[in-house]
Amino acid sequence: MSSVPIRDRAMDEAVIVGRDRENVVVGNEIIRHRLASRLIHWSVAVTFFGSLLSGLPMWTPVFGWMATLFGGLQVCRWLHAWAGIAFSAAALVMLVHWFSEMELRPDERSWIGPKLFTYMRYQTDDSEVGKYNGGQKIFFFTSVLGALGLLVSGVVLWFPLRFPHLVRELAIILHDVTFVLFAVSIVFHIYLATAAEPGTFGAMTRGTVTKAWARLHHPKWYKEVTGGK
Amino acid sequence: MSVQTLEISRSSASGILSSGNATGMRSLPTVSKYIDTSTCIGCKACEVACQEWNDLKSVATHNDGDYQTLKTLDVQFWNLIRFDEREVDGGLKWLMRKDQCMHCAEPGCLEACPAPGAIVQYANGIVDVNPEQCIGCGYCATGCPFDVPKFHASTGKMAKCTLCVDRVSVGLEPACIKACPTGCLHFGTKDDMIALGTHRVEQLKASGFPTAALYDPKGVGGTGVVTVLAFGDHPEWYGELPRDPHVPLGVRFWKNVVRPLGLIAIVGAVVGAFGHYFNFGKKEVQGAADSESNLPQA
Repeated sequence: MSSVPIRDRAMDEAVIVGRDRENVVVGNEIIRHRLASRLIHWSVAVTFFGSLLSGLPMWTPVFGWMATLFGGLQVCRWLHAWAGIAFSAAALVMLVHWFSEMELRPDERSWIGPKLFTYMRYQTDDSEVGKYNGGQKIFFFTSVLGALGLLVSGVVLWFPLRFPHLVRELAIILHDVTFVLFAVSIVFHIYLATAAEPGTFGAMTRGTVTKAWARLHHPKWYKEVTGGK
Repeated sequence: MSVQTLEISRSSASGILSSGNATGMRSLPTVSKYIDTSTCIGCKACEVACQEWNDLKSVATHNDGDYQTLKTLDVQFWNLIRFDEREVDGGLKWLMRKDQCMHCAEPGCLEACPAPGAIVQYANGIVDVNPEQCIGCGYCATGCPFDVPKFHASTGKMAKCTLCVDRVSVGLEPACIKACPTGCLHFGTKDDMIALGTHRVEQLKASGFPTAALYDPKGVGGTGVVTVLAFGDHPEWYGELPRDPHVPLGVRFWKNVVRPLGLIAIVGAVVGAFGHYFNFGKKEVQGAADSESNLPQA
């Protein structure tokens, strides 16, 4: 892949570099996510939505109309289980892939709490924010925990008669509560990645962000990548 | 297909109004099946009648050392005589109870079911399954305190005693009632069956069974099937009949608390995102994309 000369102006240099490298400057942009990261993220996203959309009509008849997307509620019942397995597998790959970059620094612990609201009001001092801010790191771990909770309770719901009554009841509630928390956090994940913070979505598609974006949102990362300027 | 001649009073997962196909127009007396375990001889005519009437396929039987045909009800065996040998006051009692769907007034299966209209309750109290809507998820089995719902191995659909709704709707008694040779099974309105049961319980009490009782548990709002038990203080002796059956708390909590709150939370999150955008706008690069002004002020 890197055998194509980087100086070939007919091809998008950043995309080519982004195939296997990240945290490097290309022109006025910085590669934020290499290809592997983007593929893993979208695998998780697609399987998440596959599970969500096939599960919602079973969850409440208010979303019964979504069952038609898949050909009926019986299909949803079958599909939801397998989409969930695929989602769990993708989430596991995601965990392994990003684990080393998501360690919560001691000064970032305050993100578990009111700091999340301060951030939403755009009032935090971001000068010490590295590649991922405290909120992103927390979202990473809550997502992995959520995926685990959904998997465990999901297996019980898939084969209910093999488990005792109490375990089945608890599984229904755990699956529900976990999914609702997940859905709420995904709404904000998508909102922040698109409307609220322009320039972010491209980081997960093309893989790049502008230098100015990096200076604004992740100043410490910007300094590490550009060597100060 | 639901039997069109019978008004539906409740159907599963049918929205906040919980009415589904109900029109609320007709008023029918609640029907009831009366079982007197004290006169049952375990002949199994009722088992055969049920299989015959419903065209159910044969199920391989198991010999566990007693007369019981199967260990539990089956998706193709909706009516099972339970045999229990019990030592009471130094003597042996051979207890036999006809086990089938109890057609609860507050059916836990219907409450737990997430498929709209898959489980319905008719105005006469009969609880029935619509296999076209059934998705085979098994929630009904979690909702039922009597462990009745069973599922087909390949189609996944649930099936159980229908209280012969197809016979009842044209004025016939259920097949099991018709077949019983000892007269321990009766069919009629709930009031009439309660009266029969009360009378029989009084007879038993006067004949040396002081703890005789009519099993009609209030935890599920009463059942369409009322059972006379000679040892009424030990329902568990009669094929694991639960002492205090009720719709499981987990199922109720899920349906009535977790689910609505969850829906509000998710819709609230979307509304919240819009509200946030209207109120706070974007967090974005100011001015020229590469200007120095975007460095945070120390």
